[in-house]
Amino acid sequence: MTRPPNRRAALKQTALSTVGALTWLSHASTTFAQNANEGELVPFLDEPRTPANRLDWEVMDSWLTPKDQVFSVQHYGVPEFNYEDYRLEIGGMVAQPKQLTVADLKALPKNEVVMTLECAGNGSNPGFKNAVCNNRWGGALLAPILKECGIDPAVTEVVFFGEDKQEEVLRPGTKRELKVEVPFGRSMSLADAMRPDLLLAYERNGQPIEHRNGAPIRLIVPGWYGVANVKWLTRIEFRDRRYMGRYMARDYVTVRGERLGDEIVYVESSVTRIQLKSVVARVTRQPTIKDKVPVKAFGVAWDDGTGIAKVEVRVDDGPWQAAVLQEEPRSKYAWTFYSIDLGQLSPGEHTIVSRAINAHGRIQPTADEDEIALKKTYWEAYEQWPRKFSLEA
Amino acid sequence: MATVFLVAHDIVAHIASGCDVAQNSRNWQGFFCEMFCMRIDFLKRPSRSAARRRIGSSSSCQVIVVLLLAGIGSALGEQSWGAEPLQSVAAANVGTVRGTVAYMADPAYPWRLGRYYIKNPKTGLLAEAVVAISSRGLKANDNHEPRTVVVDQKDFQFTPETTAIRAGDHVRFLNSDNHTHNVKTADPKFSFNVTMPVGSEHTETFTTASGAGRPYQIDCVFHSAMRAWIFVFDHPWFQVTPIDGSFELKNVPAGEYRLEIDHPAGRLRHRQTIQVVAGKTLDVSVKLHPNTDKP
Repeated sequence: MTRPPNRRAALKQTALSTVGALTWLSHASTTFAQNANEGELVPFLDEPRTPANRLDWEVMDSWLTPKDQVFSVQHYGVPEFNYEDYRLEIGGMVAQPKQLTVADLKALPKNEVVMTLECAGNGSNPGFKNAVCNNRWGGALLAPILKECGIDPAVTEVVFFGEDKQEEVLRPGTKRELKVEVPFGRSMSLADAMRPDLLLAYERNGQPIEHRNGAPIRLIVPGWYGVANVKWLTRIEFRDRRYMGRYMARDYVTVRGERLGDEIVYVESSVTRIQLKSVVARVTRQPTIKDKVPVKAFGVAWDDGTGIAKVEVRVDDGPWQAAVLQEEPRSKYAWTFYSIDLGQLSPGEHTIVSRAINAHGRIQPTADEDEIALKKTYWEAYEQWPRKFSLEA
Repeated sequence: MATVFLVAHDIVAHIASGCDVAQNSRNWQGFFCEMFCMRIDFLKRPSRSAARRRIGSSSSCQVIVVLLLAGIGSALGEQSWGAEPLQSVAAANVGTVRGTVAYMADPAYPWRLGRYYIKNPKTGLLAEAVVAISSRGLKANDNHEPRTVVVDQKDFQFTPETTAIRAGDHVRFLNSDNHTHNVKTADPKFSFNVTMPVGSEHTETFTTASGAGRPYQIDCVFHSAMRAWIFVFDHPWFQVTPIDGSFELKNVPAGEYRLEIDHPAGRLRHRQTIQVVAGKTLDVSVKLHPNTDKP
């Protein structure tokens, strides 16, 4: 049964939303990145070519990622369906299930959030280090819509299903092998789902979301890895027990060794919030002066919304140097640009690396530190990323 | 007339190679017609039936006889019987197509990845473009000796990214990275899917020509950013442009062709008709525009 959402409640939420804070962002200057692009680009060594539909670090000059550099990852293929027949069902343990059309959602006040969306596998290998983007998403707030459904007090979890489906094989090769077609799904606790900044989005950067990126409706969870932002969202279900779909319980599970005295205990945890991370996007140079090369670097740092306090950059075995953080545009869940003048370097090969430090003093780890070195799965690859470049005299 | 010359050459070459003409042809006239028609097909002249009609109704018998004799003399003068007959025989009937491929930058259609393929943005000379000729049924009966080309997987990219080969050639895939890769193509004509452990290699033989328009796209199932294209041709008149965007197709039989230029990474495509004249070099400079020259 379709029941229009409560507009008053939605409007109240809107007042608390980020719209006002974001208005100025649309006019904010992006010249910082462009200035950092001055000089001649020094290409990184041993780096694969950037493919289409991926962030092109070396030439990035826009705080909001252009459409042709936005990545898309899906596990059950890109589903084909008619938008006119589209309905979002909200059901399970609720007093009043809903069925909403895109028009129903667009009739609600539009809210926007600028956020960095990173694939949880981004950085897991040199060929996959540009599945991250920064976009302004527009849509209806999720929390007031869920609240109107009359949530059963026993509910602990909310599951989000997409239109994409595939056959999964459980216990393959055994007598108890089971094949079932299942929709792609991800879940979160009721508390996480009721956060005031989750969106049922239908726009990206003021344009309709592309089909490959989840149109007509995509769940937007600011500060969480891409996999939680379910594309082609068709059903939201309230449950009183854990959802154990493949991409919740078996994949997108980080296995990490933790030291317990002299012992290493391996712990499995769900991939959810984006980890603190920074990268050097590009290095530029000026003509050689007296056998030395003037060099600048430009980069990006992001996290789950905790806040980037500082970024430091190091060349070869030199000291960590503080980079200049771009003052605007800034937004809680969006990446922060930084730049640094590295002075004059000697011709030859160099290694450059950055590390982000967040508002709580946490430092982005190196690949040798336990939390990375003892991580056995490739998701959440947030270690420091050293990059090599060569300066000709 | 050139065809008559070639037919005469083939007849003599065929006999000299030890072939029993009588067993392979119903009679001399039939053999003559077959050879004639093969040449005609190759040179993109009228159809086989039309050629037969021409043979039967030709009134220029004297000219034909002269050309037959000239062709016989030419064939007897060759040292390599039957080897690459089309290219070696028809020196007087082939031309050259050479030129450059450049990219015309347009701010309205930015190509940020062009930096991988264009060394000098001012000239726009384009590397890794595949240049080939085509015409209906174009094939070279030159006893092509299959060769092996290498496509490596290094630094999480296929190297080279774009390869052009003859049908029957082998591609030896390597993995020089310290990670497991894979080579896969899902082309309906020919598909394979092979995991490539560190240091491994795998060879595939591409027997079916793809032409310029539909290269075999090679992927790594583990690393979606990795992509390569393999163009397979039934003839030798193709080339992948080096960094200076140049190409030169030699020994092209005189005639009308479609010049086909494809740049799969840039999603660029250009087609134009060219006329190859015997003994001449045709200079073609192509400037690809991102708006108009697309698939």
